[in-house]
Amino acid sequence: MIEVRNLTKRYGKTLAVDDLSFTVAPGTVTGFLGPNGAGKSTTLRAILGLVHPTSGRTAVLGVPYGDLDKLPHRVGAVLESFDAHPGRSGRNHLRMLAAAARIPTSRVDEVLELVELTGAARRRAKGYSLGMRQRLGLAAALLGDPEVLVLDEPANGLDPQGMRWLRDLLRELAREGRTVLLSSHVLAEIAQTVDEVVIIHHGRLIRQATMAEVEAMAAGEARVRSPEAERLASLLAGAGLQARSIGDGNLAVAAPPERVGELAAKHGVVLHELTTERATLEEVFLSLTDSDDDQAGAA
Amino acid sequence: MSALVHSELLKFRTTRTAIGVLLSALALIAIAAAGTVGTAEEISLGTAQLTQDIVSSALFAGLIAFIVGILTVTVEWRHGTVTRTFLATPQRGRVLVAKEIWMGLFSAGLAVLGLALVLAISVPWLELRESSLELDRDALALAGRIVLVTILWGALGVGIGAVVQSQTPALVGAIIWILLAEALIGALLGLVDLEGVADYLPGRALSSFDGTEDGGLSKGLGGAVSLAWVTGLGLLGYLRMSRQDVT
Repeated sequence: MIEVRNLTKRYGKTLAVDDLSFTVAPGTVTGFLGPNGAGKSTTLRAILGLVHPTSGRTAVLGVPYGDLDKLPHRVGAVLESFDAHPGRSGRNHLRMLAAAARIPTSRVDEVLELVELTGAARRRAKGYSLGMRQRLGLAAALLGDPEVLVLDEPANGLDPQGMRWLRDLLRELAREGRTVLLSSHVLAEIAQTVDEVVIIHHGRLIRQATMAEVEAMAAGEARVRSPEAERLASLLAGAGLQARSIGDGNLAVAAPPERVGELAAKHGVVLHELTTERATLEEVFLSLTDSDDDQAGAA
Repeated sequence: MSALVHSELLKFRTTRTAIGVLLSALALIAIAAAGTVGTAEEISLGTAQLTQDIVSSALFAGLIAFIVGILTVTVEWRHGTVTRTFLATPQRGRVLVAKEIWMGLFSAGLAVLGLALVLAISVPWLELRESSLELDRDALALAGRIVLVTILWGALGVGIGAVVQSQTPALVGAIIWILLAEALIGALLGLVDLEGVADYLPGRALSSFDGTEDGGLSKGLGGAVSLAWVTGLGLLGYLRMSRQDVT
């Protein structure tokens, strides 16, 4: 469980996070979404005790991060910046972290195997590709087999196989009852991984919703083409469905296509085409953040 | 705490810088010891003063401990490893204490190794010159103070590193301060008859403690003032570390 309550963080005159509140439930993978500069990293760093809130509070497993005992077994985190010494091998980086938490070296080799980095484990980290650096970060986060995982843009640098591997890993960890929070600025990138999304913009909460609700937002309109478009429009209006003409006998109807097809069949209206115009997930994401921009502009 | 200190040991051991620093320290000490023995005049052979001069070669361990102390902290900011360190141990004061303990152990080890190297070079060389070291009580007391002063130099380095955090300014600034600025301040204070105040500056206080500063503070007061500097800078470093955001 991760809780963020009325979190505000100000850097001088810049308001990075603005009265943000949300909760991440155990047993789920939650996506933390927002455009670049939305305040995601600052929020994650506040959750992890690296940034001091100007006001508000954060809690992990019911207490502030700094009050957790046996930390690597409770929370694992990967932040966007690379946090290994470039002159140290990946394995030694993990050995050093394991030593601080009294974790046996055998676990270091286990996580290296898990993130498929065993072959490069003894190479110095400065020679690692972006994807390898992400895997090393994940290995560090998983070292203590933690109950909560916080990942900042973990998909950066991963190839499609790596993305699938990460998705499967995070889904498995959530199935085991762990809490997983991962940030991204691209909804489509994490859509198949997450159960819920928390969308922020300008440091403020825009929406917390399940992926099913986001999918529903993307469902969009039915598009129908008929030689009797005007008659069909009035029939739809009579059934309480909004239809607007988009030219050449085409109508856009705010309803599922099944409903339009059934109504047309019932009244013997000829249809030449009936489709669904779906918005992409990214369009939904952009529409949510754009509407916040509009509100901010109006204010 | 022992786990954190062990982690600090691994941090040091697992980069190439460590070996370079250790070899540099031993090379400096060896050159100083060899230089002292090799250039000693016949008349000084077998004297307590020559023994003191030879044993004092190990004081270079303090300079190296000072540099390693600064590096131990500033390397965390230079390479961004401080994020992972604070994620693993959010009680930042514990991190600083672990670094101080590790530096204490490292500095003591380095000083003992330096003293052993001085003996390994000087004893057979002096035998070839039909002489020997006068390892009397004064020489042993000096050796003990070298170990203690090296520990203090290392701890001072950690404190400076924690306060400044940026590696190059910390290293360059600290070395300029110790080698040049303190002498300059002493000279300026001398113009207004306050030269004695400069004896309380960290480098001079440490030199008073190890006995290489002519005049100045007594050994006891020098040690106490040095400890006050170490504690003060450590506290200042802790305040800075504990209040800052790691972004």
